[in-house]
Amino acid sequence: MRGADYVIRRIGFALLTIFIAITINFFLFRVLPGNVVSDLARVPHATPQLRHALTVEFGLDKPKWQQYLIYLRELVRGNMGISFATQQPVSRLLINDLKNTIPMVTIGTLGAIVVGIATGILSAWRRGSASDHVSTNLAIAFYAFPTQFLGLMLLILLGGLLPTSGMENPYAGVFGTQTTIARLQDIGLHLILPALTLLLTLYGEFTLIMRSSMLETLGEDYVLTARAKGLSDRRVVARHVVRNALLPIATLVALSIGWIVGGAILVEYIFSWPGIGQALWQAINQRDYPMLQGGFLVLAVSVVVLNLLADLAYFKLDPRISQ
Amino acid sequence: MRVRASLVRWWIAAPLAVIASMSLASCGSSGSGHGTGGEVLHVGTTYPIDSMNPFVAQSDYSYAVYEYVYPQLVQYNSKLQIVPDFARRWSVSPDGRTWTFHTVQNAKWSDGKPLTAADVAWTINEVMKYKNGPAGQWAGLLAHMIGASAPNPTTLIIKYSTAVANVLAQMQSMSVLPKQVWAPFFTGNGAKLKTFPNVPPTTGQPMVSGGPFELVKYKANQYALFKRNPNWWGPKPKIEGFGLQFYSSADAMVQALKNGQVDFIGEYTPPTAVAALRKSGFMVTTTPSISMKTFIINTNPHKTTHKELLNPVVREAIEYATDRQQIIKTAWLGLAQSGSTIIAPADGSWHDANIKPLPFNLAKANQLLNSAGYKMGPNGIRIADGHPMSYNVIFPPDERGTGDRTFQIMQTDLRKIGISITQQNMDDSATFNAISHAKYRTFDMAMWDWVPPVDPDFMLSVLTCAQLGNNSDSGYCNPAYDRMYAKQSTLIDTATRQKLIWQMQQYIYNAKPYIILDYPDIIEAHSTKWTGFAVAPVMGSVNSLSMQTLLNVHKI
Repeated sequence: MRGADYVIRRIGFALLTIFIAITINFFLFRVLPGNVVSDLARVPHATPQLRHALTVEFGLDKPKWQQYLIYLRELVRGNMGISFATQQPVSRLLINDLKNTIPMVTIGTLGAIVVGIATGILSAWRRGSASDHVSTNLAIAFYAFPTQFLGLMLLILLGGLLPTSGMENPYAGVFGTQTTIARLQDIGLHLILPALTLLLTLYGEFTLIMRSSMLETLGEDYVLTARAKGLSDRRVVARHVVRNALLPIATLVALSIGWIVGGAILVEYIFSWPGIGQALWQAINQRDYPMLQGGFLVLAVSVVVLNLLADLAYFKLDPRISQ
Repeated sequence: MRVRASLVRWWIAAPLAVIASMSLASCGSSGSGHGTGGEVLHVGTTYPIDSMNPFVAQSDYSYAVYEYVYPQLVQYNSKLQIVPDFARRWSVSPDGRTWTFHTVQNAKWSDGKPLTAADVAWTINEVMKYKNGPAGQWAGLLAHMIGASAPNPTTLIIKYSTAVANVLAQMQSMSVLPKQVWAPFFTGNGAKLKTFPNVPPTTGQPMVSGGPFELVKYKANQYALFKRNPNWWGPKPKIEGFGLQFYSSADAMVQALKNGQVDFIGEYTPPTAVAALRKSGFMVTTTPSISMKTFIINTNPHKTTHKELLNPVVREAIEYATDRQQIIKTAWLGLAQSGSTIIAPADGSWHDANIKPLPFNLAKANQLLNSAGYKMGPNGIRIADGHPMSYNVIFPPDERGTGDRTFQIMQTDLRKIGISITQQNMDDSATFNAISHAKYRTFDMAMWDWVPPVDPDFMLSVLTCAQLGNNSDSGYCNPAYDRMYAKQSTLIDTATRQKLIWQMQQYIYNAKPYIILDYPDIIEAHSTKWTGFAVAPVMGSVNSLSMQTLLNVHKI
């Protein structure tokens, strides 16, 4: 029963967090100076009538509380609204953006997790060795590099070998013929640089935390006992150290995966990747409230849900929590 | 150890080999004109199409696309003169209220349906019905218009309530829409007018076009691809098609040109890339533009704070302390023209070349401020009405880069005459809000820019009282100027209108709501394998003014 209480409490807390996020999303962007009408009406041939028409069309002439209630009502109905800037349904725009973002960020993030854990284990295992020094310093360096700098360097260095922008070669299928395999290859090639940038940016954190956690675990009494029993070094590390050292990584992994949905604005910017990060950046600049509300709702829900799953996984992985 | 070393080499070599083979395979399925024998121009830009719907779009490239897929009655030539397009000739009644256009015979839309003067009349009349609502973005094009009619398939008559000076320029900006596509959306309250995406249908058919190209594939924020329209009634383009690819970063776009992924990069090629591109063997073209960078000083007569800025002597001193040559040399690497009036020299005869900017002269600036009684404070900042002459300069993201360097030069020089300025960064939306806050009564200074249309009417309108809260970014309001503006907009005779517009430029130059810093050059680059680009002072070669470039461009 104690376990069920814990799960219910966590779920309730997650729902409350999402509701608060929805409310903050609504008011936060509206208290920013500027509004979408200023932006959209600053065009040649604009008239004062255009400003008025846009204000009425977007419902911005209504009191804020009324706008908020309409927003909540429509959200309950599953309607995220129409983008002010493009006049297209927000849900459709977000789905398109997410379809672009998730593969690239997933590959980059999962790659970072795998590489980070592997290099962290190897560093701790061979602590003090030359490979440990190289691995740790590289991890620190990549962790410290600004994403845009790293991306730009890769773009300049590998630009001749790999595509540097967008998700595909748009011309191939229209002004010629392109097989499905060729298209998949093309998309795969376009994925490499942004995913690699993300991988290199993220993996250092995993390396350092894994290494630190491993070193702490290697000093535990039960590890000494295992060694005293005559188990091989590899067996001790694999069976007794890595498993226990992975606990702190679980939280980091959950948080990282939660952010997958949020995209990687800088990576998307450098490689012109048409994902949700770029879409939200544009929406902020344009004060496109429906798009911002929808995008940040998806982001908030994904982070909260992934955190909830991490909590539940912890509950399973570490019996001390249930006690 | 030997095994491990070879394994390491394999781990490094294998992915590179895979990438290399995939690259080769991918290259085999791309490239200009692959598989068709025709030439396809790959264009890169950092300014994406924001919407294909002409009642929603704001991006320059959206309008460039309309230039090529929809008919316009007229277009500009390379000298910025209006020349025939869908209208082959025209005449205006003596009172200037009735315009008669004679359109092309036997023209067709890309779907084979007839394209006649009736399509133009239909577009105008339908837009007029919704000009105070969803078609509001077009309202300015229809100013003073009563309606249009087409007594026969090649004659269009447009009637106005008063003489309108810039009818031809307005018609150049107005696209003729295909009735067979748009009629279902001009119904009811017109709400569907703005939600129609206007992109190629999912059936794989291109968008219905009345221009030399038709849009065949479009992915928002990624690319737009065009093929020749087989039913186009004008001269056949030399290329089979072209594509616009959108880049978030100018650095990535320049790199794509170097790597051969695009053939041409247009608007927003950074000045810092010019030398490297030339060194790499690319053709880099620079040409003066009609856009301008402005240093804005709040001249609103109801200003409540720092009212010394309303003193013309202070604004004159600030101009004397503006080193335009240094700004052009340092911030623009020489790729800009010195600023003077609100109509740029590249706008041809509308620009008054007699107006010369004040020379950089710090001694004169100090002398002006001394004689006006603004004494130097103990920290080197002058005092005006008991407060230091220290001002915030509102600074939007459009100005980052070259604008930052410009600001630093101005800040250093103004400090030498006892005026302190501080950069106040904010985004575009917040910028307008900060400027127009409290009915323009509180802001002091700003830096921003204008990229006006060719006809000067719009740029002149920005400084009218009617644009307060709308397009005004200076707070300037003067009924005498408004009267001149209203009059010029009715002058059909070009010479008479030009004379008045020159007076207006002088008027604004003297009032100095703006110190026009410079007119940045259009910078673009292309592979030397291509030729036929016709650079215009707005947007460069691929623009919304004329179809010259994409009708003539071809491989050498």
